[in-house]
Amino acid sequence: MKRTPKAVDKISRSAVIWQLIACVAVVLPLFSWLPTWVILLGVACVGARLMIHSGRWSFPHWSIRLVLVIAVGVGLLMTFNRDASLNAMVALLTVGLSLKLLEIYRRRDALVLLYVALFVAASVFLFEQGILVALYMLCAVLLVIAALVSVWQDPLREEMFRPLKYAWRLVLPALPLMLVLFFIFPRIGPLWSVELDRSSARTGLSESMSPGDISQLTRSDELAFRAVFEGEPPAPAERYWRALVLSAFDGREWTPGFSASSSASTEELHSIGETIQYEIVQERSNQRWLFALDVPVVAPQQARLTIPRTLLGNTEVSQRIQYSAESARQYFLGAELSSDQLDFFRRIPANSNPRTQALARQWFDEADQDTLRLIDRIFRHFNETFVYTLEPQPLGRHSVDDFLFQTQQGFCEHFASATAVLLRSVGVPSRIVTGYQGGEWNASQGYLTLRQYDAHAWVEVWLEGRGWVRIDPTTAVAPERIEMSADQLFSGQAGFLADSPFISRVGRQGWLLQARMQYDSLNFAWQRWVLNYHHQQQNLLQDWLGDLSAWKMILVLLIPASTVLGFISWRLFGRRSIQDPIDRQLQKLFRKLEQQGYYREPGETLKRFSHRLAQTDPELAQVLLPVAQAYETLHYLPVDQLKERKLLLDEINNASRKLK
Amino acid sequence: MADSLVKQVQLACDKLDQVILGKSQQIRLAVTCLLSSGHLLIEDLPGMGKTTLAHGLASIFGLDDSRIQFTSDMLPADILGVSVFDAANGGFVFHPGPIFSQLLLADEINRTTPKTQSALLEAMEEGQVTQDGETRYLPQPFFVIATQNPLTQFGTFPLPESQLDRFLMRINLGYPSAEAERALLMRGDHSSRRDRIAAVMNPETLAEAQKACRSVHASADLVHYIQRLVQYTRDADSFSYGVSPRGALALLRCAKSWAWLNDRQHVVPEDVQHVLEAVVGHRVRAAEDMAGHTATRLVHELLSSVDVMANG
Repeated sequence: MKRTPKAVDKISRSAVIWQLIACVAVVLPLFSWLPTWVILLGVACVGARLMIHSGRWSFPHWSIRLVLVIAVGVGLLMTFNRDASLNAMVALLTVGLSLKLLEIYRRRDALVLLYVALFVAASVFLFEQGILVALYMLCAVLLVIAALVSVWQDPLREEMFRPLKYAWRLVLPALPLMLVLFFIFPRIGPLWSVELDRSSARTGLSESMSPGDISQLTRSDELAFRAVFEGEPPAPAERYWRALVLSAFDGREWTPGFSASSSASTEELHSIGETIQYEIVQERSNQRWLFALDVPVVAPQQARLTIPRTLLGNTEVSQRIQYSAESARQYFLGAELSSDQLDFFRRIPANSNPRTQALARQWFDEADQDTLRLIDRIFRHFNETFVYTLEPQPLGRHSVDDFLFQTQQGFCEHFASATAVLLRSVGVPSRIVTGYQGGEWNASQGYLTLRQYDAHAWVEVWLEGRGWVRIDPTTAVAPERIEMSADQLFSGQAGFLADSPFISRVGRQGWLLQARMQYDSLNFAWQRWVLNYHHQQQNLLQDWLGDLSAWKMILVLLIPASTVLGFISWRLFGRRSIQDPIDRQLQKLFRKLEQQGYYREPGETLKRFSHRLAQTDPELAQVLLPVAQAYETLHYLPVDQLKERKLLLDEINNASRKLK
Repeated sequence: MADSLVKQVQLACDKLDQVILGKSQQIRLAVTCLLSSGHLLIEDLPGMGKTTLAHGLASIFGLDDSRIQFTSDMLPADILGVSVFDAANGGFVFHPGPIFSQLLLADEINRTTPKTQSALLEAMEEGQVTQDGETRYLPQPFFVIATQNPLTQFGTFPLPESQLDRFLMRINLGYPSAEAERALLMRGDHSSRRDRIAAVMNPETLAEAQKACRSVHASADLVHYIQRLVQYTRDADSFSYGVSPRGALALLRCAKSWAWLNDRQHVVPEDVQHVLEAVVGHRVRAAEDMAGHTATRLVHELLSSVDVMANG
């Protein structure tokens, strides 16, 4: 007779459905990160399991499963080209989950599946940490727990929705614990790390600037960073966020010019009056630079100052980071630069943009060699005939010539570039600064949001005795760009937000705007207080507990943790012995006997035990016999329990004493 | 009164000891089975004293007995009885078969066909016989002692598990000890020895004793122990199938009778352990066993694995 698998091994039919729901729920948010074929495989596996569930198909033969596993392995190798990136790992997990779906039948399979599902759920947060995703994942975990509950459901008394009810009751008491751990658990750096996908697009400003680069950015409303100020925020016209300084010009494109690792010292800054302090939450850009209000005084922890006083991060910003910075509002920057050093900022390729160079010399002569009057002349020229547009016409090899004399329309980078070239043509040191300008002020929550369409470029000119001075040619042609936010200015213009979802294009007025602002501020608070809580945690805990290192905190945590664990283990294992002194004393007695080499067999009653002892050690048997008698009386006779308990306890203690 | 009843039964046992030498344990188990109103299956090789034991029991308890020697060509009517047309009275008259007796010795029950076997076993279970549309009740007490040759013997129809379950106990006598065998040989062959056993009890006192057995106290802790034993046979992988609830009830019933036979008004775990093999042995089967010859080993495993002192 072949032994059939015990009925308890098989999971109920509704449990199978729960497994499917849980798996789909955890994989869903990963859709945009997974290769298409992995998603198709997942859908196919769910479909196949449903077909098996309905009895139309049978479970796949082991050879089919083997072929599937090999095919999927090869597929993964080919897709990720043996690059063990995070995406590859998550894809591996997901295909494993999908294939396992095919064979869930017994409880063991289901448990493996659900534990992997929890792992997949955790991996979602590697890619997305928004508040909506977090809420969604909470529900997904609830579903996984419901599936876990359903696995233990009696197949004969299954009920579709009861597991969800139980899961809810299980998760609810865990929430306070989650909060406590969130607040006090030390944030320790990762012990090892998997590289994020290197091919991830870099977003935002790029390291060089050629015509059209920045206007391209206005097609996106992606978040660049948010800033919170200590005290009043600067006026809109003051909100110049410095990211990069571009000093070398090849006739068309501006590049930084000197390498980031150059040993030259940072340009001197003399601040006049008050500085402004603020905190920035920067989105992932996969670039190294950070943002600071013009001009940063010191570098935050995560970055250092470059020579022209921009912030260079220690690593690429591969995830959202938070840092605080301090900037001077009025300053002298690099006033002490020598003429040799300044030569670098006068260089332009001799044969490029000839008409521009000629025009510059002509104007400089007309302005009696006065730099300020030259700048004034340039700005007037811009103001008279030029058009500020998001969609300028393409420019040729002599980009500035083309811009100044033919198209006469452009975006900030065109004006900045032209200004700098004009100034350099007559030997005035100048350079381009790129970054962001303006931003959307959320008055209710008190923070500034800068999006990609706030990207901007302006010019710094070096004046004798003044050092670097910021001039913005855009103010000459379109002063409203500086006064208003880019959002207000451009909305309606063709090309603005062309690459953004429809909702961000329509949701720009009335209650929709209100709702958007509300959601935005909620998201910002989420980012500051939840995702980047570790910054606040240090301070918060220091306020409460004094100076604590991470390891000390772990030690402190061990105390409540061990208390809880101790309590649980007492409930689980120690309760009976504490509840029943008879059993506890009896165990002690047995231990004493064991020390003398006498072990009671499980199937041996006390009486038999003492009879057995009598054969080798009659004295010992005499000690044990009254205990055996009292034990039998208490447990097997219809007697007064309380009285007999006491008698038995006396006998046990008596015997214990004699054994010493 | 109860005391004297116990004494009487103990005296009966002692007397049986003189008939079948060196088998006092088996005799007491058989008496326990009788006291528990259950049927007994004795499994052993021919000539081990099965029939002697059955006759001895019948005489000592004052029961009228009959014996059926099962053969392969027997029909149910040979056991239950048959209606014969009586020309004188012009009607059918029922001639009761050997089953209408207080103690039935069914010798070599596995020699006959399943059809006949099941006729007997049904009667055992129901306590009545229905034939020609008329139900006739079997006498009280009704006690069947079936003997059976080990199944490996040629030309047998092994009883299926469901039928085995109807027997409260299964015992085997085994070879006598050297001492007992010497005494047996010294005494010589007395085939009519049972005639000399005087009845110690009668059906009425037996019924009283059975009633007394049922009222023996079994504490909650003891019931827990029985339940743990039964549960073990269902959970452990070494068992192909476990003991049924009927088996559990049988175990408790026999333990009570055993306790009563030992002059106690309460059951202790030792009682359960004494009757365990006889009650449970034919209701379990090892996972790898096809012929059912490992009951002793299984019961031994059961006894040594289940902790008798784990209360609660």
